[in-house]
Amino acid sequence: MRPTVIQIKSFFGSNTAQSSHGTGFAVREGGVFITNYHVVAERVQYPGKYRLEYRTADGETGAVTVLAVDLRHDLALVRTSGYAPMPIKLQPSSAIKGDRAYSVGYPLDVGLTITEGISNGNVDDSFEPRIHYSGAINAGMSGGPALNAAGEVIGVNVAGYRFEQLVSFLVPIAHVQALCDRSHSQQSDIGLKKDAAAQMRAHSADLLGALDGAMQTQLVSKYALPDKIAPFINCNASGNPVTDDLVQTVQIRCLAKAGLYVQQGLYTGDLRYSHYVLSTSSLDAWRFANRLSALTAAIGSYGSPRHVGPYACEDRIVGLKGFDASLLVCVRRYRKFEDLYDFTVRVSSLNSSKQGFASHLDIYGVEFEPGMKFIRRYVEVMEWRP
Amino acid sequence: MSGERVVVEGIDGHGRVQWRERVSLHADRTAFTVGRSVHADVTLDDPHAAAMHASVEIRPDGRIFVNDLGSMNGLIVCGKRWLGARGLELPDHTLQIGRTRLRVRTAHELLEPEKPYYLRASLLVHSPAWIAAIGALVGGVQLAYASWLSAPRDLAASIVTSSWAAVSIAAIWVAVWGLLSRVMQGEWRWLRHSAIFLGVCVTFVALMGLLDMAEFVFALPPANNRYMWIGAVALAFALYLHLTHASSLRAVRAALVAFGIPVLLAAGNHWLQERYQVRNVNYIGARMRIYPPSLRLQPSETLANYFKRASGLREIASRRLIDALANDPQKDDEN
Repeated sequence: MRPTVIQIKSFFGSNTAQSSHGTGFAVREGGVFITNYHVVAERVQYPGKYRLEYRTADGETGAVTVLAVDLRHDLALVRTSGYAPMPIKLQPSSAIKGDRAYSVGYPLDVGLTITEGISNGNVDDSFEPRIHYSGAINAGMSGGPALNAAGEVIGVNVAGYRFEQLVSFLVPIAHVQALCDRSHSQQSDIGLKKDAAAQMRAHSADLLGALDGAMQTQLVSKYALPDKIAPFINCNASGNPVTDDLVQTVQIRCLAKAGLYVQQGLYTGDLRYSHYVLSTSSLDAWRFANRLSALTAAIGSYGSPRHVGPYACEDRIVGLKGFDASLLVCVRRYRKFEDLYDFTVRVSSLNSSKQGFASHLDIYGVEFEPGMKFIRRYVEVMEWRP
Repeated sequence: MSGERVVVEGIDGHGRVQWRERVSLHADRTAFTVGRSVHADVTLDDPHAAAMHASVEIRPDGRIFVNDLGSMNGLIVCGKRWLGARGLELPDHTLQIGRTRLRVRTAHELLEPEKPYYLRASLLVHSPAWIAAIGALVGGVQLAYASWLSAPRDLAASIVTSSWAAVSIAAIWVAVWGLLSRVMQGEWRWLRHSAIFLGVCVTFVALMGLLDMAEFVFALPPANNRYMWIGAVALAFALYLHLTHASSLRAVRAALVAFGIPVLLAAGNHWLQERYQVRNVNYIGARMRIYPPSLRLQPSETLANYFKRASGLREIASRRLIDALANDPQKDDEN
């Protein structure tokens, strides 16, 4: 098995020192390997600036070319020149919860490493399918195989939470199979980039499509506000338990955690929203309005000028169900990916001196029309129920 | 003509009289001499004056003429130097010999009527003490309101803190102008400068507050650089009033300086902001302040209208991206 797992290194320009590294394993004969997309992302997005090399456990090195990418499942199919070991067998069925598993890779450049853990089956309520692996996956092991006791691949190492205790994730093997079946022929650099862009659009369409059903709301201080609107959306709510505070604040924050890693500092196709709901029994109307004002300020979610343009905004007072609200919608366009936009939305109620809310919605890297449609649905379900 | 009295005044750079000398003239003697010598009728203490520098003649009709008595430096009349002048008229009755500026006053000159002087100013605007007091009071109320609005828990501490800051700034500002007045005009005039500072500040704060509220009441679109431009106008007014009270600048020049500086500052700032906004991809402008809902007068618009207009944002965002790329000093070659 040892020779079938290689280290894949990325270099900036003609530097001999690596810029990043990951792991890959042979899936087809003829030197065809699987690794993570994020291991080869810079090379795909900046083909003129980055190059890839492999290094085997025996110290052999050579060039690596990218054949196909799957951003959504963070996979890439690559070919090595001059190194074609026997492929590893893929497990034909999906992972079973409780099975022992072994993750293989090159963590932190310390050489080929095997860690032991337990496969915990598919992650609940995740937008992207992932296997929860209770074992160590460290930086550099990305793209390496996770094996069952029989030595068959059950998934691809993808990520671990740095400060948690061995909560790591694997990409299910079915997606590896699908990528292998899809493509063997080599694509041009431009073709790969276009393919990546098309996948980003498809992913954003899938994300907003998955949110297309009836939008569930919850009632907070007489306002019905969008709640956990899809199973994969993760919400948590908190408040100030001190009851003698003049203003009671409830915060509800929801995250889709659906973002695609495209390149360093750029994730697309994600969404988050939060509601800050204020209520008071003793504060006067002027000071209450001032408290609400402080929550309406809009600071764009951080974007780099390398990736996005400046915002264009519409800011008016609109009539919603049973109440008036100030509504700000800001849009900025992506530089390199046509038809992808970021949206920043702020809604603040203007109807009561005793209750009020400010709602913040941020959508990253989606197409314009579906984005606007979602925003409209998001504000349309808001309701005042005195 | 018998026993006409003439007063010769020495004037300083600010037009104020430094010394006065009387000369008596009569029918046989219609001229007097000016020079460094003790034999001159008016003796000057000026190294650039000749011993007998000039003679000044008063004609019966009140016109004044001057003759150079052979000086080296000549005479300066109406801003121009005359060498060996004979029978040169002084249209404004002033004359410069060496570095000394002289004004000749005769019984022919028309005096302005006596101005009334009240122990207490009749109009509020004439009384800096009143304006300063009212300004301080209103400013205190504004500070208290701002503190009250945002710090309901520890109001007193908040008022004291903001008052300290405000009083320190006011004291420094007034002290600087007072010092300038003292140097240029010989008086501290701190009451006037306090009145100007407080009056302009209080008016500016009140105006901004009202505009913020009007934006909410009438649902006006937010204006981003409003504070800056109105602030520039307020600064211009304050500078103009301070300058006219503290310096010897004439009104037109004071106005040029007072309005020129803030307009240049504001224009420069505006330009910087525009450039910054074109490049800053995270910039979203200021938003409307929220006031109690009962103040609203303008009805809200429908969501359908809102989203019809918002559909134009795609176009605007694309245009702004193109502008940003055109202005980007670091072009990305792999687009």
